[in-house]
Amino acid sequence: MKLEAGWVPVALSASIEPGTSAGAVVEGSEIVVWRDNSGNAHVWEDRCPHRGMRLSFGFVRGDHIACLYHGWQYDIAGQCRYIPAHPSLEVPQTIKVPTYSAKERYGIIWATTAGEVSLPDIEVATGVTPVRSLYVERGADDVFAALTKAGTGDLIGNVGLLQAGDDRLLLAVQVVSPEKTAVHVLILGSPAVNAGAKQKHYAQWAEGLRFDLEQMAEVA
Amino acid sequence: MIERARFIFRGQMACESFTEFAQHRARRLDLDIEMEACDAMSATLAVKGQVDLVDAFEMACSLGPYDCIILDIERSDI
Repeated sequence: MKLEAGWVPVALSASIEPGTSAGAVVEGSEIVVWRDNSGNAHVWEDRCPHRGMRLSFGFVRGDHIACLYHGWQYDIAGQCRYIPAHPSLEVPQTIKVPTYSAKERYGIIWATTAGEVSLPDIEVATGVTPVRSLYVERGADDVFAALTKAGTGDLIGNVGLLQAGDDRLLLAVQVVSPEKTAVHVLILGSPAVNAGAKQKHYAQWAEGLRFDLEQMAEVA
Repeated sequence: MIERARFIFRGQMACESFTEFAQHRARRLDLDIEMEACDAMSATLAVKGQVDLVDAFEMACSLGPYDCIILDIERSDI
């Protein structure tokens, strides 16, 4: 799913700590996912308007992200507020990074450019436990097929639920490119119950899934 | 501080390409721009805006679009 088509999972919430940023790709669109020091997540185009440097290489200070290259600072609306080389400059409104709508739900950061679209409705009364984000060198169709084969039912758009013994996994799929797919893996249930051994177990399960998928590619 | 400046860019010019390039940079830098003349060897234009951004405009245009070669820039106050 493209960013303009609906909500796309772009990172596990737990992967983006306050004051950090990370790059991601959705169907070829390069994005920066960053979290300000107040804890709010933001998803923008991963490109400083000045010289095109990736903002995901930048650094977060309070509620601003600054480009690594020349230190241009942007507020949470993407508006450039400060240019170190011209400290007295009143930065024009035209120097702005394109931003995407971002939401956090089910332990995942979602992004979209679509207007009024709703997230999949999933019952997570007792919380979620993040496992890992897995990047697979295979297209989304193959990943969905493998997830279905593994027993994943209730596929809602790019989200699937997998019953694994007594546990339920939430699997959110992000199309990176025609040949690469990310799967964000979480356990439905409180970290108080699932953190530790279960996280490790399902991380290994996910890595096995990736191994099988990529082996399939090599055989083909 | 607001500055009004006239630039003459000299070199090998592709007018349509250079005009689009200069107007894009001016929009990004929140400058008023007026293209005054352009031929195969030079382009003359006037801009108005914050002095630091006029400087940035000069720097940006000194690189030119890929199909132009800027060899010399003449800048004067208006």
